[in-house]
Amino acid sequence: MNIKIKTLATGLTLLSGYAMASVALAAGATAIPQAAQLCVSCHGVEGQGVEPLGPRLAGLSKQYISTQLQHFQAGVRQNATMMPMAMTLQGDGIEQVSSYFSAKPANEVKPVIRGEQVVFNDDTARLAYQGDWSRGLPACVTCHGPSGLGGGLFPRLAGQQASYIKTQLLAWQSGTRKGDVDGMMANVANKLTAAEVDALANYFANLK
Amino acid sequence: MKYSAMLLLAAMGSLTVQAHAETEPVQERPDKQAPLPSFPKVADQTYLVPRPLSAIPEGAFGDKVRLGYQLFVNTQQLRDKYVGNELNCTNCHMDAGRKANASPLWGAYFAYPAYRKKDNKVSSFEERIQGCFNYSMNGKAPASGSSELVALSAYAYWLGMGGLMDEANISGPVPELSDAELVKGAKREDFPLPEALAKAMTVEQRANLPGRGYPEIPKPEQAYSPERGKAVYVAHCQTCHGVDGQGQAIAGVYTLPPLWGPQSYNWGAGMHRVNTAAFFIYENMPFGKSMQLTNQQAWDVAAYINSHERPQDPRSKGDVKQAQEKFHNDSDYYGVEVDGKVLGTEAYPIFPKKS
Repeated sequence: MNIKIKTLATGLTLLSGYAMASVALAAGATAIPQAAQLCVSCHGVEGQGVEPLGPRLAGLSKQYISTQLQHFQAGVRQNATMMPMAMTLQGDGIEQVSSYFSAKPANEVKPVIRGEQVVFNDDTARLAYQGDWSRGLPACVTCHGPSGLGGGLFPRLAGQQASYIKTQLLAWQSGTRKGDVDGMMANVANKLTAAEVDALANYFANLK
Repeated sequence: MKYSAMLLLAAMGSLTVQAHAETEPVQERPDKQAPLPSFPKVADQTYLVPRPLSAIPEGAFGDKVRLGYQLFVNTQQLRDKYVGNELNCTNCHMDAGRKANASPLWGAYFAYPAYRKKDNKVSSFEERIQGCFNYSMNGKAPASGSSELVALSAYAYWLGMGGLMDEANISGPVPELSDAELVKGAKREDFPLPEALAKAMTVEQRANLPGRGYPEIPKPEQAYSPERGKAVYVAHCQTCHGVDGQGQAIAGVYTLPPLWGPQSYNWGAGMHRVNTAAFFIYENMPFGKSMQLTNQQAWDVAAYINSHERPQDPRSKGDVKQAQEKFHNDSDYYGVEVDGKVLGTEAYPIFPKKS
């Protein structure tokens, strides 16, 4: 019941966003490709994200956005809102959407290179930069890059909404998000405690 | 008669010390890079656990240990000075050289100095690390006694000694050593040790700590094949290392390292051998070990990765055939024709500048 209401509300918001975007386009204010007009009400015209409706897309690579849209279409990533949204993208829709949002500028975050800092007093920063190999947990920045800036198939974590990072780590744990080669990310997420999920989400969201 | 005597000697050898991988060459190699010793993994084995980095002491000695960690993890800070590719030590020595079965620094530190017949001399720990710079890092090694080699030696020593002290229930900080002592390595009778530790283990036992090197795996059922290896690579490796094996840089840093081509290890590095790479891959890849490759897959993908062109063997005098006969023909593809080209003939430059 709750989910239905939420979906309906989301749908209405999306429709109004669609209308607004169309108006804006007609006025020549922004050049949003038609395929991306549905996206902006939850992700923002600049892909800046609208918490809690949709995560930040600015700063994600084209390769990552297009792959995830394919995963939503295939049901590899399960999400009541995004699965039908992704299905609206036919033809070169995914190409247009991923090109548009990946070109949006991300907040500037100073890359901190792994190895610069030796001792971490903050357990979360240590987990991000050195992992915990006693549990077979590699450092987040190995794949997500310095300061979690992301690239290629590895999403940017720096400056992403904490609520979104958390729901994604939980989705990896529950299996509603898949699509990683050999279960690499699920393997990592499954080793994280609930407290670590919270702490890592806040850590990356607040990187400056 | 002579043959059976040799077999008997070989059998006796395996009783006293763990047998080296049978794929290792019998003859002494002229490079300073001794082949990695490899032993099969033992079930339920416990391994040395280094102390947490927060236990590194304040002061000049601790500063050397910390610098060693920084150089080991972010080796790119030495690019163009001593490093000629995009690799970092920690790419092959997981968890910053602390993880067992990933050629941990603590295992190597207690295994050097090691006598080398060819040079008729003993190679110190710093000389072994110089080999890493010349081959694995495709660079030019820092000078003996340099601050970099002292720091890397201090870090390796601190990891190993702290772990051994904890195992022997010896509390307190790791004893500080002079730079001259640090770079020699610990496989020697005159190496300064707490008395209890000296009594607990022989030099030979400390030189063969469980988890040293990469664990040897059995030979593949079918001869290794780059063709089959390519399928393994596409399925399990290319997401991180790239379709073309060139790794991935984020913010200018290759945390996902190039595996072949101009920015990877050269034809003289230990990892260019199919056996060494197969041992490494089977134990340590895919990163984080969400799944286990089969023995055959590890050999095949190692063959695929190592049958691509890479920077030249620094020992080569310009003639690939000559260098092949002298230094190769040893579980490797140097001088071997692949896809119509003899590998090594179009090798990339040694120690190129980044820009």
